[in-house]
Amino acid sequence: MDPTREIPHDWLAEFAAAAGRPLAQRFRYAFIRTYKPVLDDARYRSFDSTEAYRRWCEENLPDWLGYGRV
Amino acid sequence: MGAFEYRQAEEIRDVFARHGVRYLFIGKSGAIILGYPDTTQDADLFPDRTPANRRALVAGLRELGFALTETEATDIVRGKDFIQLKNGPFDLDLVFAPDGIERFEDAWQRRVVVDGFPVCHPDDIIASKAAANRARDRESLPRLRSFRDYWLRNRDG
Repeated sequence: MDPTREIPHDWLAEFAAAAGRPLAQRFRYAFIRTYKPVLDDARYRSFDSTEAYRRWCEENLPDWLGYGRV
Repeated sequence: MGAFEYRQAEEIRDVFARHGVRYLFIGKSGAIILGYPDTTQDADLFPDRTPANRRALVAGLRELGFALTETEATDIVRGKDFIQLKNGPFDLDLVFAPDGIERFEDAWQRRVVVDGFPVCHPDDIIASKAAANRARDRESLPRLRSFRDYWLRNRDG
């Protein structure tokens, strides 16, 4: 934690603007719906471990979705 | 299916409270409740993994409208660690063992409550994203860390 670290001005303006909005309005701005190939093609998935989920993402999702580990 | 709405988050809060479900909003959805300005698609919940809580969770999810089969309900009760639900009124990820957080109880002690929504502390959200080490998280972490700093400076008014 470094609360004295400099926050870039544009981010600071965004954080301050968001803080002034009611939570319901922040929800409207934040939650969007777009189709994600493969990921959105099943109504239910379960994994024994988070590691198994991460591995499944790497093996099955397109790289551009960004779910692969660096 | 449309985007996740505030009234649906309220339903989670109210239904889970009635069923006594212990959970925390985590990930970007949790950060957004704390005030982080960004976009995301679904809600991520970090439920306590005790058997009693898992049973309460199943009951709560069914009341919310999730069409859980018996097999799926059993998955939740018997200890799967990561569950993606797209069989209800909104998409939901249940993350029982998020990367970077050792125990639910620790995160619960550090939780932040916003309008009745229990949310992981920003440090826990950051820790889980850093430990997951996905490309999408790497890109968002610098801004999320700055938000954490902003939030710490301003949280008391």
